[in-house]
Amino acid sequence: MARHRRVQAPEEDKPLLSISPLIDICFLLLIYFLVTTTIKQKERDNNMMLPSAAPTDTQPDIQPLFIKVNEQGHIYANVGAAQELLDRDVVGKERMLPMLDQRLDTYAASARLGNDQPLVQIYVEGKAMHQRVVDVLNLLAKYEINTVTFTDLLTEDQLND
Amino acid sequence: MIDMVFLLLIFFIVNATLIIVEMDKRVTVPIAKHSDRQDGKMGRIVINVYGDKHAGEGRFRMADGKKAFADDEDMIDFIKKQKELWEDKGQKPRLHLRADEGVHFTYVRRAIRAAATAGVNEVIFVSLWTHS
Repeated sequence: MARHRRVQAPEEDKPLLSISPLIDICFLLLIYFLVTTTIKQKERDNNMMLPSAAPTDTQPDIQPLFIKVNEQGHIYANVGAAQELLDRDVVGKERMLPMLDQRLDTYAASARLGNDQPLVQIYVEGKAMHQRVVDVLNLLAKYEINTVTFTDLLTEDQLND
Repeated sequence: MIDMVFLLLIFFIVNATLIIVEMDKRVTVPIAKHSDRQDGKMGRIVINVYGDKHAGEGRFRMADGKKAFADDEDMIDFIKKQKELWEDKGQKPRLHLRADEGVHFTYVRRAIRAAATAGVNEVIFVSLWTHS
């Protein structure tokens, strides 16, 4: 009599987590980001409030500092007979305007001593480069002056009002 | 090795999400050392002002650099619409002005004036820390 051998059931396969597809996907994503990423500098902000866009009837307590930028990029302070040349060009990699820097330092300090907000009016000639205007705005940001009036922004009608 | 791949992956994912506003590389924005880090894209109304080299397809264009404004009225309309959209979302609208460093200020002034006409009086002059 043949002995019946009990056939042993094959050991049940334990479920295994295969990480190969996960690694494949990771590699694909990595390659995607490597290809699409370009090393770019992040752009930065120079925030300015332009009150000329929202005129008010109240006169400021403090005399605004008047700055002129001409088409050669020269920086002047004041108007009329009191006009004086401050800087002809920027200095160094920091693009500093030393005379304007000094003037703004004094002006901002005196305004804040009197609990006033320093106000700056800028007149820019049409052919002046944008970079030079930003050089001026950069210095304003240094002294936390963020209220600026571009005096030539008013239209003829507004000037006549 | 897998650990390195994960680390690189995380680096690139984080880096990719840090870009806040679309940047058209045809505009080389000026340098300003005292500028601030961008705080978020909310409320920004992007206007690109191109230098003479790229002004042929339009001096003033939207964020993607493709759609040019036909004239100043078109730009004012666009800013007005964007302003309303941001205000509906409870955000303060701001002009995000990406002007080329070599552009004459007269063009920048036109964009600022358009924003002023549309009722936007806060302007962000976009700049870089350095060009290198």
